[in-house]
Amino acid sequence: MTGITSEAPSRPNVRFRQVGRPLTRTDAPGKVAGRTPYAGDYVMPDMLHMRVVRADVASARLVRLDVSRARALQGVACALTAADLPDRAVSTDIPGQVGRKRLDTGQQILVRERVRYFGEPLALIAAETRDVADHALELVEAELEPIPGVYDPVEAMQPGAPIVTEPDNIVAERRIRKGDVEAGFAEADVIVENTFRTPFQEHAFLEPEVGLAWVDENDVVNIRVSTQVIEHFRPIADAIGVPHNKVRIRGALVGGGFGGKEDLTVEIYLALLARRTGRPVRLEYTREDSFVGHGKRHPFVLTYRTGVTRDGRITALDVRMVADSGAYVFLSPYVLLYALVAAPGPYRVDNLDVFARAVATNNMFTSAFRGFGALQACAAYEQQMDEVAKAIGLDRMELRRRNFLKTGEPMSTGFVPPSAIWTDRCAERAWAALGEPTPARGPIRIGRGIGCYQQSYGRLTFLHDTSEAWVGVEMDGTVVVRSGVTDIGAGQVSALGQIAVEALGTTLDNVVVYNSDSAVTPLAGTTTATRALYMTGNAVKQAAEAVRARLVERAARAFGVAPDDVDMGFNEVFVAERPDRSMPLVELVRICGAEGIHRSELAMFRAPFTDFLDPETGQGQAHPDYAYGAHAVEVAVDVDTGEVEVLKSVAAHDVGQCINPAAVEGQIQGGAQNGQGYALSEEMLYEEGRLITPSFSEYLMPTAMDMPKVECIILESRSGVGPYGAKGIGEPAMTPVAPAIANAVADAIGVRVFEMPITPERIVRALKRRDGTGRLDSPA
Amino acid sequence: MYAPFELEMPGDLAGALDALAAGRDSKTVPIAGGTNLIVDMRAKRERPDRVVALGEVGELRGMDFGAERISIGGRTTVTDLLRSPEVAEAAPSLIESARLFAGLMVRNTATVAGNIACGSPAADLVPPLLSLDADVTLASAAGTRTVPLDEYFLGYKRDVRRPDELITRISWPRLPVPSVNTFYKLARRKGDAITVTGVALTLCAAGGTCTKARIALGAVAPIVLRARQAEALLEGRALTPALIDRAAAAAAAASSPIDDVRASAGYRLHTVEVLTRRLVSRAWDRFDRQGDQGTAASAAVPAHEVTAQRRAGSDGRSA
Repeated sequence: MTGITSEAPSRPNVRFRQVGRPLTRTDAPGKVAGRTPYAGDYVMPDMLHMRVVRADVASARLVRLDVSRARALQGVACALTAADLPDRAVSTDIPGQVGRKRLDTGQQILVRERVRYFGEPLALIAAETRDVADHALELVEAELEPIPGVYDPVEAMQPGAPIVTEPDNIVAERRIRKGDVEAGFAEADVIVENTFRTPFQEHAFLEPEVGLAWVDENDVVNIRVSTQVIEHFRPIADAIGVPHNKVRIRGALVGGGFGGKEDLTVEIYLALLARRTGRPVRLEYTREDSFVGHGKRHPFVLTYRTGVTRDGRITALDVRMVADSGAYVFLSPYVLLYALVAAPGPYRVDNLDVFARAVATNNMFTSAFRGFGALQACAAYEQQMDEVAKAIGLDRMELRRRNFLKTGEPMSTGFVPPSAIWTDRCAERAWAALGEPTPARGPIRIGRGIGCYQQSYGRLTFLHDTSEAWVGVEMDGTVVVRSGVTDIGAGQVSALGQIAVEALGTTLDNVVVYNSDSAVTPLAGTTTATRALYMTGNAVKQAAEAVRARLVERAARAFGVAPDDVDMGFNEVFVAERPDRSMPLVELVRICGAEGIHRSELAMFRAPFTDFLDPETGQGQAHPDYAYGAHAVEVAVDVDTGEVEVLKSVAAHDVGQCINPAAVEGQIQGGAQNGQGYALSEEMLYEEGRLITPSFSEYLMPTAMDMPKVECIILESRSGVGPYGAKGIGEPAMTPVAPAIANAVADAIGVRVFEMPITPERIVRALKRRDGTGRLDSPA
Repeated sequence: MYAPFELEMPGDLAGALDALAAGRDSKTVPIAGGTNLIVDMRAKRERPDRVVALGEVGELRGMDFGAERISIGGRTTVTDLLRSPEVAEAAPSLIESARLFAGLMVRNTATVAGNIACGSPAADLVPPLLSLDADVTLASAAGTRTVPLDEYFLGYKRDVRRPDELITRISWPRLPVPSVNTFYKLARRKGDAITVTGVALTLCAAGGTCTKARIALGAVAPIVLRARQAEALLEGRALTPALIDRAAAAAAAASSPIDDVRASAGYRLHTVEVLTRRLVSRAWDRFDRQGDQGTAASAAVPAHEVTAQRRAGSDGRSA
């Protein structure tokens, strides 16, 4: 159920013929019919099958690793350990275009001496069949001498804690200092302080990590892989010691990314064994591999101290954040930066102090996940807003209204987002859409909650992000787009097609988009950070409009009018005021071809390039722009058992401009589900760093039976920095969901559970603590 | 993926029993739906030498609805249960359990006998069957015996079934009139979840007195078990809130749960008490409202709708 509202657009509507329509995505028919090959569907003659041997403890010294029995097994082609590799680390940094290494973020490819997390790879096996590889896995003997580990980021900062990352486990530290916090607290009538905890989260894509690698006739290592980032060819080449042009990544349509395929996964193992054996090698992670094979969402501990006046004006905010970085750095410094910048949320806070640290532990390493730190901040600031409202006896919505950041106002870093800020409209619409309250009944209490957010789209501006796309018109009027962008299931490629055909006067069935090949499609950058539409959409629009300008100029001459008077649409070129004066697009293209008029264009879009934020004050520009919106829910809570049912779930987002409303709704529906699982049921449990919930029978995402109907309200301010004023929806769709649910549960039962996931047991414990009716004692 | 094993596919029951008898010296296991065994073999928790597949054994299918007893074949799938209006009438609790049993693909292949024989305390069909006083028929090449389900389990994943025996049939008596038979599954999510606490109840009444009570508890002890002391407190009495409280406490006392990834033992004890109290109170209220007229199952609406309404009552949604 979708309601699209284009109220008070900030500039007049363009007349769209393709953009803004819920067209059937170009990737849909193949997927629905099962024809679309994913990376795991590719096979080659003479192909070997790989497995990864992993450590079964989280912190240990590798005393002895013996692969001789595995090597001796018939059908085993290769068994590789760190001893067979040069002592080289893999960079796990953001693959940025500026080429500067910012921090020592290296990870050993295979354990050389020290095991730092459960599941860390010890050896690689390649064999003639999958069964032989499985068997060989069991023949590898590893002697691991346990070393005391540390499994809590707060403990990891204490003196004497085991050191995972030299010198003190603190892998990143960021700060914002703005205004005068002390004066702000002095001005406050009430100061509210709370600590919130957010959990690990697994991406749980349908398609586990998988790839196929071979060395071609030019000695180039080709890797067909499920990834969000084909630019990883550079760190792969560095890690295996070949020039950058000797590694080629060929993507495929991806069966889900969510940030979990933003880092390298199977690529380096594949590249090493393809080169070592000279044969094609295939590696497909089992689900158990996948649970330990890619970084998780950072758990955060967030302490919010808010000063507020009786009439609901926030006078000061002090935030302390600690993020669990796990055993390796990966993207922790950047995730932390997102959390830092997002700390006050979509509210105007002039006196602000934020101090955030990412800390190494022997837990699973953590990295990118939809929302990327800003989501964890939202989980805390929106719960804190409800607690502040309660403390001063003000309506929750009213407190928000009085503090919302407005269009043209400076955010936490002092930067003024260039687009419209429609948090207020989104919040009112979502809240109103909850409708009549469901009546409470017996032990079933009803509660409502809202989450409002600010989420960036586009990468950090100091990374100097660029994206390239090539657009050409064939002699029959069909359109080809070439761009390296990866499509991770959200319709990225189809949206680019829609933009190209909008500019070139044809229809979506007349375009083919070639994507995701690091050697032959122009590099478009990562499909991460809600940037694909913003960056590559702009690049495609630039390229297509350059071609259009040349076509239109030639048509104008043919019609004897000015180029501005010529329009194109549905395969016709015509004089805008005189549609009877027209010619088929194909005829115009033939004329251009005959006259040597250039029918293609390679364009590069550049995001704003800035320096890093001021290291002392955190002031400056961090991102190109921000998206705003809200999510509202109604829940039923059984106060005896603690069970929660989400009854209503309403999303209202300003997406700037919909390219494809059906795809936007898909993102919103998925975000509602992803956020609901994060809030209520998804839990990765570790014992001494060992994951004890490595399967979908223990790691519980909401099923169709758990999801209510999600109502999507799409607002279009047409003010974003993406194509046609688009913003982004990939990450925003999820960001506000969990705090909305947390607030609804607290509203229902009158007491807050400060730690997610909000399990039935935690609810019962919170109620018993409040009511003084004892604890949940375990039997003696 | 799997360790190598021999696969036998007998065409009838005699062939299956012979194959099991012949395999007594090796690790031979029967496979029906395989929804537990295949997972365990893949994880190498189970490494059988021989697997006897029961897919072609027709004698293990079929349901028989007699005047006194209902009898179903061991290879009846969970989906078979859900498609049977007769089961819905004769065993409302079993249907309530079946509706929340795993996911659709598992329901289509998982069998009743397999759910019993896996021996898991969280096996969701077992509490309903225990609450119905079900019997289990075990057959081997040497003969056939029938044991009460109540005496079937010996301990965690241990039971009275010999390796050469198959569960061929499960049967239970028809519910007396009036009676209520119900099951509540408490889990961490609604669909496709392993039970945290499961409570099945049969309550019968006559002349304002509880004539029979069966309370079966899942996932709160090494085996699915009956809360006998709680049952005894209720039988022969007119139920009062205080009495129901005592029975609920007795049910919790009968439990010996553990902490696991789904919940703590303390939470399980708490919820056994809450759910027992809730199910018994609601069942008793039904008798009050209906003046002992008719069973829940024989009321004017079809049984599955009755159960749907009962669920609605327990989770706050309007039916």
